[in-house]
Amino acid sequence: MDLVWYALLGLFFAAYLVLGGYDYGVGLLLSATGGDRERRAALTAVGPFFLGNEVWLVAALGILFGAFPRLEGELLSGLYPAVVVALTGVVLVTVAVQLRGRPARAVARARWDHAVVAGSALAALGWGALLGGLLQGVPLDAAGHVGGIGQLATPFVAATAITLVTLVAVQGATFLSLRMPKEQAPQRAALVNRLVPVALGAVAVATLLGLLSGDVRAAVNAWALVPVLLIVVVLGAARAFAQRRPGWAFAASSLALVAPVLVVGLGQYPAALVSTVDPAATLTVAEAAAAPSTLRLLSWLALPLVPVLIGFQAMSWWVFRGRIDGKAPVYW
Amino acid sequence: MDPLPLARLQFATTTSIHFLFVLVTLGLVTLLVYLQTAAFVTRKPVYERMVRFWGSIYLINYVLGIATGIVMEFQFGLNWSGLSRYVGNVFGAPIAMETLLAFFLESTLLGMWIFGWHRFRRGAHLALLYGVAITAYVSAFFIMVANAWLQHPVGYEVRDGVAHLTDFTALLANPTFTIAIGHVVSAALLTGGMVLAGISAWLLLRRSPDYELLRKSLWIGLVTVTCAGVPLLGFGFAQFGAVGAVQPTKFGDDAAKAQAVADFTARFGPGDYLPPAYANVSLGFMILIGFTLAWAFVLLPLFYRDWIVRLKFPLVLVVLALPLPFLAAILGWLTREGGRQPWAAYGLLKVDDAVSPISGGVMLASFLGFTALLLTLAVANWVLIAKRAARGTADPALGRSLETVSDADEHRPEPVLAR
Repeated sequence: MDLVWYALLGLFFAAYLVLGGYDYGVGLLLSATGGDRERRAALTAVGPFFLGNEVWLVAALGILFGAFPRLEGELLSGLYPAVVVALTGVVLVTVAVQLRGRPARAVARARWDHAVVAGSALAALGWGALLGGLLQGVPLDAAGHVGGIGQLATPFVAATAITLVTLVAVQGATFLSLRMPKEQAPQRAALVNRLVPVALGAVAVATLLGLLSGDVRAAVNAWALVPVLLIVVVLGAARAFAQRRPGWAFAASSLALVAPVLVVGLGQYPAALVSTVDPAATLTVAEAAAAPSTLRLLSWLALPLVPVLIGFQAMSWWVFRGRIDGKAPVYW
Repeated sequence: MDPLPLARLQFATTTSIHFLFVLVTLGLVTLLVYLQTAAFVTRKPVYERMVRFWGSIYLINYVLGIATGIVMEFQFGLNWSGLSRYVGNVFGAPIAMETLLAFFLESTLLGMWIFGWHRFRRGAHLALLYGVAITAYVSAFFIMVANAWLQHPVGYEVRDGVAHLTDFTALLANPTFTIAIGHVVSAALLTGGMVLAGISAWLLLRRSPDYELLRKSLWIGLVTVTCAGVPLLGFGFAQFGAVGAVQPTKFGDDAAKAQAVADFTARFGPGDYLPPAYANVSLGFMILIGFTLAWAFVLLPLFYRDWIVRLKFPLVLVVLALPLPFLAAILGWLTREGGRQPWAAYGLLKVDDAVSPISGGVMLASFLGFTALLLTLAVANWVLIAKRAARGTADPALGRSLETVSDADEHRPEPVLAR
């Protein structure tokens, strides 16, 4: 039962990274987009999906709280700075995207757009640091308390944070090449082609630093290398498909954002939160899970509900599918 | 530096800001359902214009509700890891249900509502708004279940020092839940009505041209305030008995208070088990505001021959009353939450044991940072609502297409008409 819920938690967080990933990617790319009309068009491409994307994060957190209360408390307070950075970014993007279209003056809009760019960068950095922090373990003591916050200041965590920024930027670029009007296709594909090598470089550096770090080697098993390899393959695929098949390129870059969750899940199972100071204090998935009575109640709820949730999201994707044209409703 | 007061202050600040926005969200979405249903049935253009105008104000307000809500949800883990450790098995369940059953769908459907203006058939578009409203109420339902459990833990047993869920239905029958949800929903409706009435009155005073829309909104707003005020006061006063019975230190008499303090001292050792004085002071001022707003009904006869607009001073009164429900809401929460101190879960877990083992410096940085961020965003949001309203009801952004948007549109001045 707890394994099912752990997988569900991974599914929701991975879905958030994929969907929120193109929000933040498009947000980052706004910095290279001149002109209010162009920036507005890029956000219109995200438009109808935006509100439905970050709900995956909130739902993942709900699952974390409901099904893994112990993990929730120790994970969030143990990786405090990473969570705070990510959270600040999420809040900034949420607010700035929705409010940037409200003022009438272009100057005020440009100011909100800066907040979108900054928020996107912070969110990607924060989640990247969180995943990196998980991979190298936290100083968890036997009482379940995590001492200090300094453990996050390592080259490996910095590398994973930057890696996620690059993956998210690729995701934003493939999303725009899928959604923006056809006549922009060549330059959109060129952007994907330029960003992929940067992301590959970041993945290589993070992997190398991980292999060199004693903490990471102790906390993660060799299975973690499989999803890392997957990232490399799908990033290559995204570059290959960028010109002709933007849909396939987007699917590939989406897989590249699912993979980091797999790295943590496969690489550390059965542990959910690895202790660097006391192996006995390592929190396993089974220990972190809520009591059976709680999981049973939540399972009865989730069984019919999760298909409904995915169904409504799919309805939204279907209704607003295809490239945006001049007639797309604009609100942001 | 002691992290506990900082963590409490941070939670109080975040929750207060959050509630100011969700109150309007819940109230306005209900009125929007009414307006769009009326537009669907009668096909009168004025209702269509009302949905677009009030919808755009609802959406600006909605933004901060989400943003502060996300921060709040994370704060449980960041600052109150003891809460998830000791009572997470029970308290986490309604929180998880809220995110999956309510918020997830609410936002997904709302995204489709905003961008589906010319894509869906009218009936389907209306159905989306119904979905948004229903999930908003489900959301309020589960959050209040969770909050009520902290006020009066039920349906659990403690094994190995950790609370385990034994009976979820007990959480739904919790007396601190059943009456409070009626109070909160009435408060949201009243606030929604007050927003409609206050902004309409302000625009009428500014001689905004769309007289038909504004007069109708003023009427709907004041009728809502009048109608919602009755259950609001009823559910409010009913809480004294129900809550007093399970939280003697909050609303009990002196004998019950003394007995509860003796009981807590026996179980948890000596300490200060009486709530701070501000909880009672807040209660007094909140009741005062409640009685003031109950006078809204005297304005209704003034709609005869539009005296309410011609006399002008009733409009000024309505504008001045706009902040009152918000103030009362904060005071109400100070009473409810301050009144249960020093408990995180009443009679079960003290706030000292619930706070995360984080250093005071980190907590201070997080408190100052998030408070500054959220306050800035909240003020910016209210300014945008005011500016959006001041531009009048002509051409709200909702339901436009990219083709028709030009720079000239954005700067088109509102025509000034003398009535």
